[in-house]
This record gives sequence, structure tokens and C-alpha cells, in this order.
Amino acid sequence: MQAEAAQITATERISLGSQGRRLAGPALAVGLAGLAAGFGLGWLRDDGLKHFFHSYLLNYCFFLSLSLGGMFFVLIQHVTRAGWSVSVRRLAEILAANIFWLTVLVLPLVVPVLLGNSALYRWNDPAAVAGSELLQVKTPYLNPAFFGVRALVYFLVWWCLGRYYLGRSVQQDVSGDPELTIRMERRSPAALILFAVTVTFAAFDWLMSLEPEWFSTIYGVYFFSGAVVGGLATLILAAIGLQAAGYLRDSITTEHYHDLGKLLFAFVVFWGYIAFSQYMLIWYANIPEETTWYLARQSGPWVWLSLVLLFSHLLIPFFGLLSREAKRRKAILGFWAAWLLAAHWLDLYYLVMPSLCGGRLPLGAIDACLLVGVGGIYAAGVFRVASACALVPQRDPRLAESLAFENI
Amino acid sequence: MSETSPTPSEPAAEEPLAGLVAQFTSPEALKKAAARVRDEGYTRWDAHSPFPVHGIERAMGVRRTILPWLVLGAGISGGMAAILLQWWTNAFDYPHIISGKPLFSLPANIPVTFELIVLLSGLTAFLGNLVLNKLPEFSHATFRSERFRRVTTDGFFISLDATDPKFDEAAARALLESAGAAAVDACRVAAPARLPAVVGWALLVLGVLATLPPVLTLWYRSIPKRSPRIHLIQDMDFQPKYKTQAASPLFADRRAMRPPVEGTVAVGRLREDEYFHFGRTQDGWARSLPMEPTDELIERGRQRFDIYCAVCHGYDGAGGGIVSKRAIERMEPDWATPVSFHSNAVRQQADGQLFHTITGGAGKMPGYAALIEPADRWSIVLYIRALQLSRNAAAGDVPDEIRRRLP
Repeated sequence: MQAEAAQITATERISLGSQGRRLAGPALAVGLAGLAAGFGLGWLRDDGLKHFFHSYLLNYCFFLSLSLGGMFFVLIQHVTRAGWSVSVRRLAEILAANIFWLTVLVLPLVVPVLLGNSALYRWNDPAAVAGSELLQVKTPYLNPAFFGVRALVYFLVWWCLGRYYLGRSVQQDVSGDPELTIRMERRSPAALILFAVTVTFAAFDWLMSLEPEWFSTIYGVYFFSGAVVGGLATLILAAIGLQAAGYLRDSITTEHYHDLGKLLFAFVVFWGYIAFSQYMLIWYANIPEETTWYLARQSGPWVWLSLVLLFSHLLIPFFGLLSREAKRRKAILGFWAAWLLAAHWLDLYYLVMPSLCGGRLPLGAIDACLLVGVGGIYAAGVFRVASACALVPQRDPRLAESLAFENI
Repeated sequence: MSETSPTPSEPAAEEPLAGLVAQFTSPEALKKAAARVRDEGYTRWDAHSPFPVHGIERAMGVRRTILPWLVLGAGISGGMAAILLQWWTNAFDYPHIISGKPLFSLPANIPVTFELIVLLSGLTAFLGNLVLNKLPEFSHATFRSERFRRVTTDGFFISLDATDPKFDEAAARALLESAGAAAVDACRVAAPARLPAVVGWALLVLGVLATLPPVLTLWYRSIPKRSPRIHLIQDMDFQPKYKTQAASPLFADRRAMRPPVEGTVAVGRLREDEYFHFGRTQDGWARSLPMEPTDELIERGRQRFDIYCAVCHGYDGAGGGIVSKRAIERMEPDWATPVSFHSNAVRQQADGQLFHTITGGAGKMPGYAALIEPADRWSIVLYIRALQLSRNAAAGDVPDEIRRRLP
């Protein structure tokens, strides 16, 4: 078995090529149409684009988190010198390198803040700040200039990381130089630290500051855990989709799905652990300064959303992904991956929307339009990056190990 | 036939045969041979290698284990046990409010539940693995094979147990050789070794000695003794200081408690002013305060009254403070209800007498001299007068602006 699978079979399709490029155009068009429709609906609401911005933030962070999850996957495979994952790693590298469009897509969030708009972030409203001593004390951090500088830093770091790890990996496709692997591994610990710091503070800046009086030190980890769940689910669905379209039929085996499924299961539990940690500490201390955030999320109709989130993001997928068979069958694993992707979106909805309005669940066509809008542009970016390289790191020194990999 | 010359550790042929052990040169050879043995129908045999060989379970036909189900069951049991434990102890058997939370509160109970799930699952996985593999097995006939020692470095082996129903020494040997064995050894069961006599005697002696501590303990607990108990961890129990009423060899009168030096008074203790300190004049009780009554003094008096006096006398001075209410509710046998300040008897008392009562107490009330400074005690007296006035004022006492607003 090991001798046969030492390299990719000659008939294996490993490059999207023109097919991918042809998909990018329609995806971009659909995305732009969705954005326009969403903007139109938001304008019609006549609320100063408040709902538009919240919905846009939610959908943007959703797609951003998929790339960040992919980036995390790439970095931990390098830092652990993993061999099993090489045949799926390129897919994660592609996700992580989709930073250009994500940078463009963040402009509708950052630029209005720089221009003084406070529809999204109350701390940008001088009147609100003047009326709250708490906000005044936080002004050295929560001010538009520093906010903009930090956003620049995050994207610079993510750009460098995404481009570096995809770039070196693609370079190795041609040269086959093992030195590239060694270098990528050596840089991965520092890369992980940079990743952790930027993701944490991005979560603080864009999501936690929606409620500027509130804070939670575990918030960054909470966002990160959801991002990894989303990223892994996307990887699984991408692998299944590509294999269904005829690509990578032999490179990605049941064993890879099994391991991706194990990681997905682990991070579902990790998300539950972090979510509960944040909840329990605030619940137990019962300090009014901290409980407001959860009070908003268990008042009125929001209590149902919280319960649905608990069951759909943790309790049900836990038992669904528990068995070995579930992780080794594409149909079952794919089902749970899709389920968890939806649950991850619901998680971000739960984080963002309560600061829009308290008494009701503001779900509407605008959310669907912006999901398609941001998603279309994001997908276009993914197709373009994917079309420019092979879908497997052809000359990675550990590819043979990955192809022959067997779970117990 | 292809057996090499007997290795030094191979014992004489009279010992019963435990099985055969065959060496292979590579994991692939091991897997191929294992598949052959499996297909022949052997059930009591094993494959050995220095590192895990992927696919060996399939080659050997190893059936799936029930261990995951045991772990799942243990995890669920652990979770239920934890919930039951916390519910029973905190909400049922000894209902106890912690931190103002409900008696049975799930968020507070989750950490323990989580830990117990993990603990029972982990223990079951570990112990279950040992038990299902029939471990620990202290000795096996294969260990007597010199060649088999390579199994921890670079040797790959198959061992066939002689107790297998299909086992026949010649046929088994032939199978192993045709499957590609580099060498096949016979493993013989050693006669069970006898334990050295010294071990038995040592255990006996230790057993006897082990009975000494409990016997001695029971003995010592049953007899009375004059000497104090052994006090191992002394902490700060015996301190080189003199306690009250103790004798001291340092002074002529042998007292540790020293009276003040003749002719001196401690700082702050010179209570020359009888009026101020005791509320007394030569003609009896002081009839007024020793200081000017001001608004600040009344406010101070109100604050001090609310702190020290209101618990028994009530905030209105009528005697229904919460301490009194509770004592009456509990039917304390020797409780005397605090006097109401609005009674004639108290209204007619002089200021100095009120002051004296606060200082030294009266009846059930203890003296508050140690708690309240004299100046504050006078302010309380002033406030009591204000309270009394509040229930016993004439129309003329009310200031004009307020009188105009009254019906």
C-alpha cells in the first residue's frame, strides 16, 4: 500500500485552472448584486443604515473567520510537522491567502468609522462618549485613528502570513526544495503568536466594541474557536465538492476525512468549553457591569436563539460527530460540516445582532442578500487564488506520507 | 529443518511447549504472514513489533473492540452521577444557598459534571484497555526466547499459542516458514519457580510488625494517662508571654499584670471633667449638654443613634428595634423589652442620666462606654431629646414656615 501511493497518480486532476477562473466572474457578479440589493434594502429602512452595517459586519466576520480558520490549520500543521494533512493543506492555504478581497470588503466597515459614522460603534459618537465616563476612559483605545491603524496592522499581518505560506508552498511545487518546508516550520511558532494576537484584537475591535461598556477577556478565544470550526467545516465541504467535481479523487482519502472530522469534533467541544466558560463566570459573579451582555441575549425572543445556538452548535453535533463511522463517511461528515457552518453563522448572529435592537430578532431579507453579497465576492477571490496553483502541494517532502496515511 | 541451532536460552525439550515464535524481517512481511495465519483459522496468536504497524489489525483479523462503548457508558454514568451528587447534597439533603444562586443551578454544576465525565471516561479507557487485553501479564513463554528480545528494536514476530485448537507443532512450523519467517523458535513453559524462603519469612515478620500500630493505638486510646498527649505540630500554641492573672518571677509582687505607676494616669484616661465624662454635677445629674447644641451635633447624634441604638430601641425610639422584635418572636425567656423614650419616666430623666445610661448600661442594656466616645454619647442624648420632642411637641414649637403649610 505504501509503495503504490507514494505519489499522485498520473490521471489525478489537481488543478482548477480555467474552470476555476470561469467561476470567479459569475461569483463576483452575484456578490456585487447581493451587496447592492442589501445596501438598497438597508437604505429603505431609514435607520441610518444601522441594520445594514450590523448585517454586513456579521456576514463579513463570517467569511473572514473561514479564512482565519484555514490560516490556523496551515500554521498548526507546520508547527507540528504533520505529515497526514499535506494533501488537504493546499485547500487551507488557498482559504488563508484570500486576503486581498477580505481587505477590500472590510472598507465599508472601517472607512465609515474613520469618517465619524457611529451607526455601528457607539464609541465613535461624541455625544455618547460625553455621557459615559466608562467610554471616556476607553477613548485612548476606542478612537477612529487607532482603530484604523490597528485594522491596517491586522490585514498586513494576515496578508503576510497568508501569502507567505501559500507562496512558499507553491514555490515548492516547482522546486521541490525541502528547505522551504524547514523554513515554513521554523517561522510557524512566531506566525502563530502573531495570528493569536491579531485575531484576538480584531475580535475586540470589530465585535466586542459593539457593546463598548462591556468586556470579556476570553472574547478573542471565543471568536477564534468559532473560526476554526467554520474553517474546518469549509475545508471538509471543499474537499467533498472538489472530489464530486472530479478533482483530487485519490489524493484525499477516507483517512483525511477522518482526521478532519476529529479536528472538527474537537473544536466543536472547544467552542462549547469557551462559550460556557465565558457564560459561567459572568453568571456566577452576577456583576451588573458584566451581565448586561447576557441579559440582552436571554431577554424576550433572544432566549430562543441562545437555546437554538446551544443545541445546534454543541449538543447535537457532539453526538453526531462522536462515532468513528460518522467521520469516515463523506455523506455524514459533509452533513455535519454544513450544519456547523450554519451554526457558526448563527453564532456570529448571536454576537452581533443584539446590539442592533433588543426586543426582537431582526432577521430579514437584508441578511440573506448580504450573505450572498459578501460570500459571492469572497468565493470569487477563492476561485481566483485556487485557479493560479495546484490543489495539492505536489512536491512537498511529506506528500508520500500523507497519501499513504492510515488511521487506526 | 530450517531451525537454527538452539539458542542458549532454549531449555531442554522435556518442558511442555507453550508455542512457536517466528521472526520476520519487515513490517510488510509481518503483515503478509499475519494474513496467512488469520486465513488458516488460528485464533490464539499475536503479532509483535517495535512500533505500530498500520493495517496489522486488518491483516490479523482483529475484531472491533467494545471499549468505546464502555467509555461512552462510563462518561454518561459520570455525568449523571455528578448531577445526582450535586442535586442531592445541595438541593435535597442539606439545602444550602451558595452565593444567592438557586439550590439546584445547572451552570454552577457543570464544571463538576464535566470533570466527572472526563474522569470516568479516562479511567475506563485506561483500565478497560488493560482488562480487555488481559494485562498485566507478568510473564510469557516468549520472553525466554533470545531472538524475541529484538522485538523492542528491529524484530517483527508472530507467536502462535500451543493452546489454539488448530495448533500442531509441525504444521504450525511449516506454515510460518512458508509465510516467510526468517527463523522459528519453540517456546517452552518453564516450571514455575519457587519463591525463596527468605521472602516468606520477611512477609511474616512484616505482617506481625504491621499489627503493632493499630494495637498500640487502640491500647493508648483505652487507658487514662497523666501526661498530656503528644503534640506534634505545635504551631504557636506555647508562647513565651504572660496571660491574665499569671504569676511572673520578674516583679516583687509576683504579678504579671502590672497596675499603673503610682500617681500616674494613662494618656486620654484623665477624666477630670465629671460633667463631660459622667454627666454628673455636685447637685446631681447634669441638666443639659456640656457643649452647644448645633445642627451638626444633632445630625451626628442621629447617625450614631442609628448605628448603635436603633437595633433595640427602634429608629423612632419607641422600643421596637429588630433585635427586640426577634427576641420576642423567638420567645427568649429573659428578654426585657427596651424602654420607649416617649414614656413619661424617660422624658423626665435629666440629660446626665440619659448619658449615664448610655455609658454604663441599665438592666438588660450593656454599657456603651467602650464603643462610643463621650462627645458622641452627648450627641446621642441630644438626638434622643429631638426624638422625644417629635412625639411631644406643642403647636408653638413648630417653625412658622412649616406651620403655614400644615392643614
